[in-house]
Amino acid sequence: MSDNAVSLPSAPGNIKPDRKKYRETFFGGIYTTNPVTVQVLGICIFLAVTIRVQNSIVMGLALIVVLTGTNLFVSMLRAYIPRRIRMIVEVAIIATFVIILDQLLRAFYWDMSKQLGPYVALIITNCIVMGRAEAFAIQNPPLISMVDGAANGIGYLWILVAVALVRELIGSGTILGFTILSTSWYTKNILFLLAPGAFITGGLLIWVINAINLSLKKEKAK
Amino acid sequence: MKNSVHVIVFAGILAVVCSILLYAVTQFTEPFRKMNEETDKDRNFLSALGVPIGKNVRPKELLGIFDKNIKVRKLGKITIYEYIPETSASGKPVAVAVPFSGAGFWAPIKGVLAFEPDLLTIRGIRFYQQEETPGLGGEIASKWFQNEFKGKKIVSNTGEAGFKIVKSGEAAGVNAVDAITGATRTSERVQIMLNRVAKELYKERKNYVR
Repeated sequence: MSDNAVSLPSAPGNIKPDRKKYRETFFGGIYTTNPVTVQVLGICIFLAVTIRVQNSIVMGLALIVVLTGTNLFVSMLRAYIPRRIRMIVEVAIIATFVIILDQLLRAFYWDMSKQLGPYVALIITNCIVMGRAEAFAIQNPPLISMVDGAANGIGYLWILVAVALVRELIGSGTILGFTILSTSWYTKNILFLLAPGAFITGGLLIWVINAINLSLKKEKAK
Repeated sequence: MKNSVHVIVFAGILAVVCSILLYAVTQFTEPFRKMNEETDKDRNFLSALGVPIGKNVRPKELLGIFDKNIKVRKLGKITIYEYIPETSASGKPVAVAVPFSGAGFWAPIKGVLAFEPDLLTIRGIRFYQQEETPGLGGEIASKWFQNEFKGKKIVSNTGEAGFKIVKSGEAAGVNAVDAITGATRTSERVQIMLNRVAKELYKERKNYVR
């Protein structure tokens, strides 16, 4: 059966990637090719959860688990997945994995599942999961694919938390639910709880990160 | 041709494997999920009614407390939950809870409204199922919003049944609370639900308070 599978030209087969590749993959997900600031993926959920720091942390952790898991399964099956229907197969794997995770959370971690609410099911449609399966896991061996998944999850987590800190502080006057700006003198800025708040904060963050990268590059060139 | 067969066979196997996995997991987790949902609902009823419950009470104990203190019966078409403390000698209800539900902004909202025995004064309110926008409509689940309801009535000063959720800062009547800023739709929908409960309950009330 595996003879029929169309292997991708870049599939390295059994060649073990060296340490450098692992390091590059890891830091790529976290910073250099960060899912939000560089790939601009997973923005729909980014808009929704960054209202609260707590929601962002929970979502980020959930995504780390999902990305690592789906990348593993897609990578293990990569030799057998017919090229023509590979995206449908990826979606099926992702959806099955996420629904099972959701059911288990509901059964054994009720409080956490209540906090996540509708977001868990939304992970299925998070472009990062599909993006990593398609861009990485389908052409790389399982172990490094898991590293790629986890790294992109961590990259997503820290961006979510960074943006949520700003949005929750300005929008609700709190951080992690603790009041920082008292309502006695601070008027909450509702704009930051709505989608534009996320675009403004996220846009500024991307600008800052790009500026830092540019100055680093210039320094290297000197 | 060979290729197409591979595609079909692979898709078929994947579909079967995924379906079996999903079926097995949902079947396996069902009793646990049901139990969680049920205890969560009971916990909200008890807390709205003001029944004293410990912080880390186990699900089974919680069900026990519910069974011992709460009597469920019908008042007209409405199901009411009477809180009769097990230690009480008179057997008279201390509080009465009425569940309500309706359409929210994103998904259905379910909650419970607890009254003093006069069935007019609100003792507490809880929303045990809601998926409103966190930080905006989701604030209906927060303490400050729910505390606003304590001591309010479901009739206006002029004796008309109904409940209002008004813009923050507007003079709040005896049957009105402040809405959530930035969550006008959620506030409106909660108002519709509460209005319905208020009117239905007011109609049945004469059959209850003797």
